[in-house]
Amino acid sequence: MRILIVEDEEKMARALRIGLEAEQFSVQVAGTGEEGFFLASTETYDLVILDLMLPARDGMEVLAALRGRSLSVPVLILTSRDTVEDRVRGLDAGADDYLVKPFAFSELLARIRALLRRGKPEPSDRLKLADLEMDAAGRVVSRGGRELSLTAREFDLLEYLLRQPGRVVSREMLARDVWRETARYTPLDNVIDVHIAHLRRKLDEPFNKKLLHTVRGVGFILREDPS
Amino acid sequence: MWLRPKRIRTRLTLYYAGMLAGVLALYFAGVSVLLFWQASTILKRLGEEDLETVKGLLYHEDNGEVNLREDYHHHSDWKQVQERLLEILAPDGTILYRNERLGDRTIGGPPFPGEGERGYSGRTAKMSDGTPIILISRKYDLQGQTILIRVGYSESLIWNEVWGTLLILILASPLILAGTAYAVYATVGRALYPVSRMAHRAEQINSEHLNARLPVESEEGELGYLAGVFNAMLSRIEQSFEQLKRFTADASHELRTPLAAIRSIGEVALQEDVGPAEYRDTIGSMLEEVNRLTTIVESLLTLSRADAGQIDMQVSVFPLAALVRESAALLEVLIDDKQLTFTLVGDESVGVEADRLYVRQAVVNILHNAVKFTPVGGSICATIQCNGRSRVELSISDTGPGIPARESARIFERFVRLDEARTTTDVGAGLGLSVAKWAVQANNGEIGVTTGPHAGSRFWIRLPAVGCPDEGSRPRS
Repeated sequence: MRILIVEDEEKMARALRIGLEAEQFSVQVAGTGEEGFFLASTETYDLVILDLMLPARDGMEVLAALRGRSLSVPVLILTSRDTVEDRVRGLDAGADDYLVKPFAFSELLARIRALLRRGKPEPSDRLKLADLEMDAAGRVVSRGGRELSLTAREFDLLEYLLRQPGRVVSREMLARDVWRETARYTPLDNVIDVHIAHLRRKLDEPFNKKLLHTVRGVGFILREDPS
Repeated sequence: MWLRPKRIRTRLTLYYAGMLAGVLALYFAGVSVLLFWQASTILKRLGEEDLETVKGLLYHEDNGEVNLREDYHHHSDWKQVQERLLEILAPDGTILYRNERLGDRTIGGPPFPGEGERGYSGRTAKMSDGTPIILISRKYDLQGQTILIRVGYSESLIWNEVWGTLLILILASPLILAGTAYAVYATVGRALYPVSRMAHRAEQINSEHLNARLPVESEEGELGYLAGVFNAMLSRIEQSFEQLKRFTADASHELRTPLAAIRSIGEVALQEDVGPAEYRDTIGSMLEEVNRLTTIVESLLTLSRADAGQIDMQVSVFPLAALVRESAALLEVLIDDKQLTFTLVGDESVGVEADRLYVRQAVVNILHNAVKFTPVGGSICATIQCNGRSRVELSISDTGPGIPARESARIFERFVRLDEARTTTDVGAGLGLSVAKWAVQANNGEIGVTTGPHAGSRFWIRLPAVGCPDEGSRPRS
């Protein structure tokens, strides 16, 4: 999977490149809009990550030029502007998704995967991790053959984590996707933490192996520890 | 409009001088008419005397012609006699005599019936050459012959008299006008002096010296009122300026705190070689501070956008009770965690007309606040109550420490946290209630806090209601 990053800020570009390469993507970085447009129109990429604030030729122009050439590569916009109009403008110009800086890297990864998965078959309702099994449609979850009794919210939370196994999920992602809170300043962090604690009590405490981990400062991850 | 000076002082002066000139002109006209009338009356009376004199001086010459003895009038002390125009007519209009001054002109044409028969006929008339005159005539019997004697005096005699007086008045008027203009100019200047003082003071007021005020001459006067109004405005500006300054200072402080933490955590971690676990912990801790920064910046952006009026409200009608229940459900885990009891009482059917999302935001923030400060095992009570037909009040009381009355207005300001709150580790605190306040006010509501029934705090919000009962408001609990 080849990804082109058009970003003028070196530190940011470097962090993105390292992060994405660690996820097994092949990454190329363009430092200006011109270069980005040149690369995107001469080579083939599976995804373009486009910063909007670029010197000389800004991201919106690059995007318009790309779409003008009927290049259908998925484009994910990064910007520090987050009004509704900005979003609408970006999506109207042909962007496939829109992410506001500062963002959680895990969120960027989730968005990239969602864009790359497009057109692929729907994920299964049967989810599994180690001895944890979930039937999302039947809303039944069991570990080691023993059924867990979860509240509706805990179930949604676990399902969301199970659908991104081995990947960190941020509180913002949970607030938006599980709690469906649109305003990011709603005081949900405590609520999420308490739910995670409850879920952990039911999911991990009776068992030896811990599956639900907290990554400090980032979020939560569901994975089988190698230990 | 060609004469419209910019300065009030000049304008008033010109205005008053103009007014006075107009009044003087009217006055002069009146005086002239009066003088003319008076002079013509006098002239007529003198004319009558003159007529008698003339009559006494008439004689028939040998050839029967009427003549006048010319040796008498020279002694007259009345100079108008010298200007006398004399005409003697027979009753049929034949001219019997004309004096030298009259020459071959006629004074008044043929006599009208009854002219001079009963006393003197005095009138103004025109001579044959068009000269306007005062004419007095009378019929006499001169040695058996009936004659009509007419004496006339040119009106210019009167006019000369009138013009003479008028000239003195007119010559004096520029002095009067100039005097008045000067007086007005000086008076207005004195009256407007406070204005220039105010302007001078106002010039010195800038963002650095917003505490200065305009001088108030007297409370009752118009200028005093004006100065008072401006001073009140300055006070408001100063207040919002102060608020802005404090906000900026607070915001920088709030941002500086996590920045300082990030910096020292990073520096300390780099001081010595530690294992990867410690590094992970360090980075995680730095990221926590970054999250805190992000939350602050996002809330600030929302508030500043709200201040700039850039947020559109999507107004709809929705039941308030359901919204409160939903908000409580969102925080249920926290409520359960602290073993708090949450109760909701009030009319289930009362609706609110507002933007649901923002009202929910406000309610969640207030509830969250209550949950945060209520000690374990306490209770939170939400009450919905109609306040008249079109307002509904939602109050949320808790059994927490409460809020001192002197702080009750301040806690809705940005970044204001009461001392007990500072010790909590809650991220991004200090903006929740500001956001709530803005959200409620933007929906035509009010927000406030009082001491609740259990000495805890009682937050209330009032919003436009739909479906409140007709009969007034029910008594408050």
